Amino acid sequence: MRFTVGMGSCGIAAGAQKTLDALKKALGERSSDIPVGQVGCIGMCFNEPIVEVITDTEHYYYSKVNEEMAEEIVASHLKDGLPAESYLIPEEDMDFLKKQTRVALRNCGVIDPEKIESYRERGGYEAITKVLKTMSPAEVVGEVKISGLRGRGGAGFPTWFKWDAAAKSEGDEKYVICNADEGDPGAFMDRSLLEGDPHAVMEGMMIAAYAIGAAKGVFYVRAEYPLAIKRLEKAIKQARTAGFLGEHILGTDFSFDLEIKAGAGAFVCGEETALIASLEGERGMPRLKPPFPAQKGYWQKPSNINNVETYGNIPWIFREGGEAFAAMGTENSKGTKVFALAGKVKRGGLAEVPMGMTIREIIYDIGGGIKDDKALKGVQMGGPSGGCIPERLIDTPVDYENITAAGAIMGSGGMIVMDETTCMVDMARFFMDFTQKESCGKCVHCRIGTKRMLEILDRIVNGEGRDGDIELLEELGRGIIDGSLCGLGQSAPNPALSTIAQFREEYDAHIRDKKCPAHKCKPLLTYAIDPEKCTGCNACAKKCPAEAIHGEKKKPHEIDAAFCVKCGSCESACRFGAVLVD
Amino acid sequence: MSGINVTIDEKNCVANSGETILSVAKRYDIEIPTLCFHPSVSVYGACGICLVEVEGNKKLLRACATEVWEGMKVHTKSERAEKARKLALELLFSDHTGDCLPPCMNACPAHTHCQGYVGLIADGEYDAALALIKEQIPLPASIGRVCPHPCESACRRKLAEEAISIAALKSFAADWDLGREESYLPEKQPPTGKRVAIVGAGPAGLTMAYYLAIKGHSADIYEAMPQAGGMLRYGIPEYRLPKAVLDREIALIEKLGVKIRCNVKIGKDIAFESLEKEYDAVYLAIGAWQSAPLRCEGEQAEGVLGGIDFLRRAVQDQPTSMGRRVAVIGGGNTAMDACRTAIRLGAEKVYVLYRRTRSEMPAEDIEIVEAMEEGVEFKFLVAPIRILTENGHVAGIELQQMELGEPDDSGRRRPVPVEGKTETLALDTVIAAIGQKVVAEGLPVKLTDWNTIAADAHTYLTDRKGVFAGGDGINRGPGIAVESIGHARECADIIDSYLNGDLIPRTEQYLVKRDDLTAADFADREKLPRVRRNVIPPEIRRTNFEEVASTITEEQAKAEAARCLECGCADYGECDLIKYGQRFDVRPDRFGAEPHRRNGADDMVNVHHNPDKCVLCGLCVRYSDEHGDGSLGLIGRGFDTQVRPDYSLSKPEDHLEELKGCAEICPTGALIEKTTGKKVNTVMRRQFVK
Ligand SMILES: Cc1cc2nc3c(=O)[nH]c(=O)nc-3n(C[C@H](O)[C@H](O)[C@H](O)COP(=O)(O)O)c2cc1C
Ligand code: SF4
Ligand code: SF4
Ligand code: SF4
Repeated sequence: MRFTVGMGSCGIAAGAQKTLDALKKALGERSSDIPVGQVGCIGMCFNEPIVEVITDTEHYYYSKVNEEMAEEIVASHLKDGLPAESYLIPEEDMDFLKKQTRVALRNCGVIDPEKIESYRERGGYEAITKVLKTMSPAEVVGEVKISGLRGRGGAGFPTWFKWDAAAKSEGDEKYVICNADEGDPGAFMDRSLLEGDPHAVMEGMMIAAYAIGAAKGVFYVRAEYPLAIKRLEKAIKQARTAGFLGEHILGTDFSFDLEIKAGAGAFVCGEETALIASLEGERGMPRLKPPFPAQKGYWQKPSNINNVETYGNIPWIFREGGEAFAAMGTENSKGTKVFALAGKVKRGGLAEVPMGMTIREIIYDIGGGIKDDKALKGVQMGGPSGGCIPERLIDTPVDYENITAAGAIMGSGGMIVMDETTCMVDMARFFMDFTQKESCGKCVHCRIGTKRMLEILDRIVNGEGRDGDIELLEELGRGIIDGSLCGLGQSAPNPALSTIAQFREEYDAHIRDKKCPAHKCKPLLTYAIDPEKCTGCNACAKKCPAEAIHGEKKKPHEIDAAFCVKCGSCESACRFGAVLVD
Repeated sequence: MSGINVTIDEKNCVANSGETILSVAKRYDIEIPTLCFHPSVSVYGACGICLVEVEGNKKLLRACATEVWEGMKVHTKSERAEKARKLALELLFSDHTGDCLPPCMNACPAHTHCQGYVGLIADGEYDAALALIKEQIPLPASIGRVCPHPCESACRRKLAEEAISIAALKSFAADWDLGREESYLPEKQPPTGKRVAIVGAGPAGLTMAYYLAIKGHSADIYEAMPQAGGMLRYGIPEYRLPKAVLDREIALIEKLGVKIRCNVKIGKDIAFESLEKEYDAVYLAIGAWQSAPLRCEGEQAEGVLGGIDFLRRAVQDQPTSMGRRVAVIGGGNTAMDACRTAIRLGAEKVYVLYRRTRSEMPAEDIEIVEAMEEGVEFKFLVAPIRILTENGHVAGIELQQMELGEPDDSGRRRPVPVEGKTETLALDTVIAAIGQKVVAEGLPVKLTDWNTIAADAHTYLTDRKGVFAGGDGINRGPGIAVESIGHARECADIIDSYLNGDLIPRTEQYLVKRDDLTAADFADREKLPRVRRNVIPPEIRRTNFEEVASTITEEQAKAEAARCLECGCADYGECDLIKYGQRFDVRPDRFGAEPHRRNGADDMVNVHHNPDKCVLCGLCVRYSDEHGDGSLGLIGRGFDTQVRPDYSLSKPEDHLEELKGCAEICPTGALIEKTTGKKVNTVMRRQFVK
């Protein structure tokens, strides 16, 4: 028997360290033969801290385990040899895991990310061994081509093509770079993978390095990911000791080493040319392409940049074969993709599914449906660069082409579920606020255009929208896409443009009727009291910070709109549902 | 190696390998606008103004950065490219704070280069100042004396303490010139053989003649009055504008070859049609020569005079039939001229009757003050009910007491009668100075509802071919002299283009203007009161027609001019941004952008940096990186990015050449080399779009 505790950033934030200590304490002297290990995040963020108990025959998952529960769980298993039933993750929640297909995340939540042995027990470093011993660089590129793997960083560019270009570029020095800048608000798949299975990403980079002829690799990791950096540092040390990094790896001519650079803290630094500029110590601003990094990248040398998840798939592909990877997914999108499921969904977290699964399956089968059983309105995909897929299109299979056709983008895998209480204009405003602040300032269209779009969205949600604002947003949006140099500017208008395309009537309601149909935009709300339901209990008036509510005791009260600050205190204070919001 | 064949805007071009679209286009004289490209530094690709459409490419491409390929088909002016380009420009302007031209110049109806000549006077370059004034105004000594100077009302220095005495400086320069042995005469272009007839020798007619003459056309003026000058001569009293000054200015116009035929009334002495036949173009500058009627009972009585009729007689030394007790009705400058003239002609009691209060009076304040000093009695909030008569002659006036009610269309509060409150004054003469009317008798041109000549707003054309009109006599009727001059100045260019076979209408040029400055922005300025002209004491001046105020001295002029804040952008003449802005007729206001004032304009030794005008093209930063020590860099991100000096490596003084180069390469007025001790003096010529 052994215990594991989910010790990703999410688990630690939920108190996993205390849980782990409590488990060890409860086990007492038994901890010598019953190990308590740490694993990365298994993806069920809604259940952290998660404790797994592995017996000879069974896996038991416990959710939200605090110190007392930890004691009881230990007691139950040791004394009775039985699980502590009441703390087990409910069967239906286990669907979250069961409906997934885990390739990139195969080890996350399973192995101890700080132990190379733990990785090797699960076949780690077999792929690089096979590659170095039996394959030529060209064959490696060929295998990736067979797999059909496309970049998971956002653009979905065929990975083999970039490797091939970098391999064919002349150069005495070449680099492989791992893009771990993960700047999309709400995205954390790369963090989870680095925290949960760092060696896999490193092994992927080694294979890439061998394929293109690079001897050096660089991790560009978001500075806000200290745990990922710590685990990578450990993993690199262990790999060096084990002979997977350094000179003449596994006795071959292949030499390779890795270093880590902490990111400069800007979203745009995830754009590959800005990332290179930042690595070189320059201001993180995108550069003109061509030349592409594969021709002239880091220090003007041929460089291959891939995303964390892209590299994470590579060892699997070489162990199981490119064909096996290509067997999953759709015509043009092979393999699996990790999504960060969030928003108004019952079970949020990281889910890896084969390409081609429908959005409906992801939301309902994995995510368990909409929170509080409200009505689904749509799904935002691709974060600040993406768009909205309305409810009527949720049978769209997730792959690069279909998602794009539905008006969003695959992006790095953000999937935000929205229900009837989500205001589309407000959501567009949220993302525009993000991209506007993150523009590097180089391009006129992006720097000023996003600001103007934000101002317009701001005035719309504040009830000051003007006739023609929608058209102005569309014009600006199209112009920004046309005029911006990098992907940030070229995609920044997407959330606004796609919500206008799919939910134009919501914009109209804000501008023309000065109403927010989702009751989200405060300045557009009006609060009133239903005299039929009001008992005159005065509870609302006591809570109103603006003293806007008047009425005699036991008589229907009234809200003076001129004083109402729209804080909503009355609505929550009323026990009779008499406060009407519109 | 043979060249690469590409077509740009349907033109076949042969390019070298590795050449960019921009470079090929340039060699083939196809202009692709750009702000962030300069051949002396590396390509950057930021401004998005050189975007072009390339067939087969989904995206627009940056011409500065895209290398050509065989068979490439480029469209630099496709609708999509032009839209993206214009949007970039509009976005830049929506985030650009400054004044292309100074407020004084914008306010002047003749667009006089106020800042320029004020600066030149400050620097002691009076001849250049005068020549600059005369690019817009051919009668500066006269206008400097009589103009109500909207320029001064708009002068930014008011926010510090008081406006610059722009008008006094104008007369100073003009008087200085008239005092020279050889007064300034502009160079004339070779004769074109074209002839233009001008009807009316007032400010508009004289201005037209002057600028046509410079362009090499011959100009003949026909004037109904005995002498040229129009209202400047017959409407403005001698004590404000000595006729000797006017005579000398008119003489200079004649010296240019302009012929003035006085005592000839077109439509009576000469038929209009014969002018049309004889000349290549006709310009009607007939003015507004009739006093507007009072519209009250008794106005037919003997002793009721029209304001301008009264003034005309006074100027001509003709009997005015004015009696001992005089009331002038009205609150404008004509009313002031009339009451002060009446005093000088010996009236014992002179009233000004005005139906609103002093603060609503359209007359210039100094005129009111001086009239009061001379003994004129002002009665406010009164309106004539009827003129009382005895034997058909004025005996008095009955007045209705008024009070101010709601604001009217002009924004001034409307006077309304106070029920039952009236008074009477005993009088011998009533002078109606409440406006002027146009009499376009004998001219077969289309008139407006107000009986003025109908002239097109963009071309000044009447309904007859080759017949233009301007000045007080058109459209909305009379205004101030400098407006007539402005009309005529603009119309002279239009007639010139017409005579050259291609009429170019007047266009409203886009200009960046700011209105966000307040007194707080000038709080730390040293307070320097404006110059006061020497004025003859009231008890003396009320007895004669001597010029009341004397021209300021050279010393005064220099000190006054030195107060100028130089509001207009020193880079206007060379700024690429405004050049494109005007060419693409941008409308940045449509975004409703919030103001964006960056803090921290900084002085970098020899260069002045204004981040509110920076377009972040990065030229200066690249220049300093590639040709200097990298003294300039970018700080901040996105919308708040700014160029900032970085002297961490060495002293600022060690980078003078580098910074100068940065200022030179800057396409806008964001980086400007400082002029030491002198005014910027930029001659901010209005650019005309081609
Ligand atoms: C504004 C912007 C931000 C980006 N951020 C990231 C990021 O955080 N992580 C990432 O892998 N790719 C990011 N990308 C995409 C990279 O430019 C690049 O396409 C990617 O690293 C390539 O890897 P892949 O082919 O494996 O997807 C970003 C692109 C843009 C335009
Ligand atoms: S599109 Fe925006 S973020 Fe990208 S280079 Fe241009 S200004 Fe920078
Ligand atoms: S301060 Fe000078 S430039 Fe500015 S408005 Fe006055 S006169 Fe013109
Ligand atoms: S200051 Fe520099 S970045 Fe700004 S407009 Fe001038 S040259 Fe361009």
